Amino acid sequence: MARIDAHLHVFAKQSKEFPREESALAPADREETAEKFLAHMEQHAIDQAMLVQIGGAEITEHAYLRHCIDAYPDRFLGIGLVPGDCAEPEAHMDALAGEGGIVGFRLGSLGGPRDPFAPIDVREFASYRIWQHAAERDYVLWLYVQAADAHLIAHLVDAFPQVRVVLNHLGMCPGQGKFTVDEWGRPKIDTPAYSPAFHTTWRLTRYENVAVLLSGQYAFSKEAFPYRDLAGWHERLLRDFGSRRLMWATDAPWIYEEPGYGKYTRVIDELLPSISERERADIIGGTAGWFLRFPQRADD
Amino acid sequence: MTGPTTEQQRQWDEQGYLLLAEAVQGEELDRLQRIFDHWAAACKDDWLEGIAKGDSTATYYDLPNPLEKDEIFIDLVDHESWFGLLQRFTDGETLFIGPQVRSVPPWPLSYTGWHPDVGPTNPLHIKVQIYVEDVAPGTGEFGYVPGSHKPGSGPYARPQRQESMPGYKTFPGKAGTAIMFNSYGWHTAMDNGGSVRKSIILIYEKRTPAKVSPEAFAAIENYCTSPERRALFGFEV
Repeated sequence: MARIDAHLHVFAKQSKEFPREESALAPADREETAEKFLAHMEQHAIDQAMLVQIGGAEITEHAYLRHCIDAYPDRFLGIGLVPGDCAEPEAHMDALAGEGGIVGFRLGSLGGPRDPFAPIDVREFASYRIWQHAAERDYVLWLYVQAADAHLIAHLVDAFPQVRVVLNHLGMCPGQGKFTVDEWGRPKIDTPAYSPAFHTTWRLTRYENVAVLLSGQYAFSKEAFPYRDLAGWHERLLRDFGSRRLMWATDAPWIYEEPGYGKYTRVIDELLPSISERERADIIGGTAGWFLRFPQRADD
Repeated sequence: MTGPTTEQQRQWDEQGYLLLAEAVQGEELDRLQRIFDHWAAACKDDWLEGIAKGDSTATYYDLPNPLEKDEIFIDLVDHESWFGLLQRFTDGETLFIGPQVRSVPPWPLSYTGWHPDVGPTNPLHIKVQIYVEDVAPGTGEFGYVPGSHKPGSGPYARPQRQESMPGYKTFPGKAGTAIMFNSYGWHTAMDNGGSVRKSIILIYEKRTPAKVSPEAFAAIENYCTSPERRALFGFEV
């Protein structure tokens, strides 16, 4: 069975060929290329991966993602972004996905009422047209929404049972003001041990169209690798979602320096040491293969 | 204080719960409803801010420090409708652990799945849930698996759908209804597809030294003058 890293980022230096936004994590002169990642894949027997857009949501800013997918079509699929103020999200999504390889879109907010007691009509959510179009075109939605939106996910998932949804990074939803960059240049999210996600995203187990990435441990843990303080979270996610809806991912390049890509390929063995071989195969690649429909490689 | 009837004792031993209709009623219930709504509204902005910061859960809303908000919440802890039962079931060693003054908004799912609170090695753990407003079927009513508190029962597993739990019973009820249950047993809130569920959950245990924590209730000590109440809150043995 293929081994698939289900979530990581690649980006080039800012250039006319590959325009992008700069950020604290990805300054203009930093590059984390697909070729560098491919070397890690070769070294650690990773077959395929999901490249998640970083550096802007405009179509032109997806140039490097498009370049990588076109260069290595049997290795990579991609997740794009939709600008928050996009007047025609349907056209934007189709323009990115139409050339193949980009199979879905990542959302950071949903645009519904912040007050959980407010009347809910999903058709009034700012992201409704994105969900509706994803339903019509079979696009995957990749969710890493802010904490204030966590309770809105269930309403949309309930309204669109045909949309495949992937909850990023253990289903966590970062709180306002809780994001920093740590000494190794990695995202750090201050998260309580008893996370509110237990009663929002983790309750979505009923919906078979929802899967969860086992990733981002380094950002939420209070400990160094292998992040044993999160072992209980992994056990609960396995119990509630099952291995057929869990996907391992590294969130490279943030982990290249600490703890290193090689160690991150073993994080599931460290945090779920008692799983069966079948469960392990699901999490390390099987689930991503079927849920995200990775292409069969010629040498598989 | 009124202890359990023979039938109540049998029901508690065999099923693990007691349903107490009209446990709170009349003027006391009216006042409880008014005070509940007043404080829920007064503290809501802080809760919304906590949600945005990732510190509070959006799918239920607990009033912070309710015992310090109004004496009526303290009076519920040793309310005559259930305190005698608690004392009998704990052999006179009831210890109050804490309150949850809880509002649950409608949501496509329940905010929690089926679970026991503690294992059988824990001291006897009892909860009393009081409905502050009517709770209709399908609006987050309490669910319990009768008999699941007993050693050797089960095994039980958490189903994906609340209604898939074998042998469960649900408890819709009128405002003022109280349900006392042994929380070794499997329980949940059913899905709430309808209206806001307002209830108060009071948590007790059979006293053990490790759980006595009078500092947790220091702010209300001046309301604890009788020996029974001081023992209940852990101020005195």
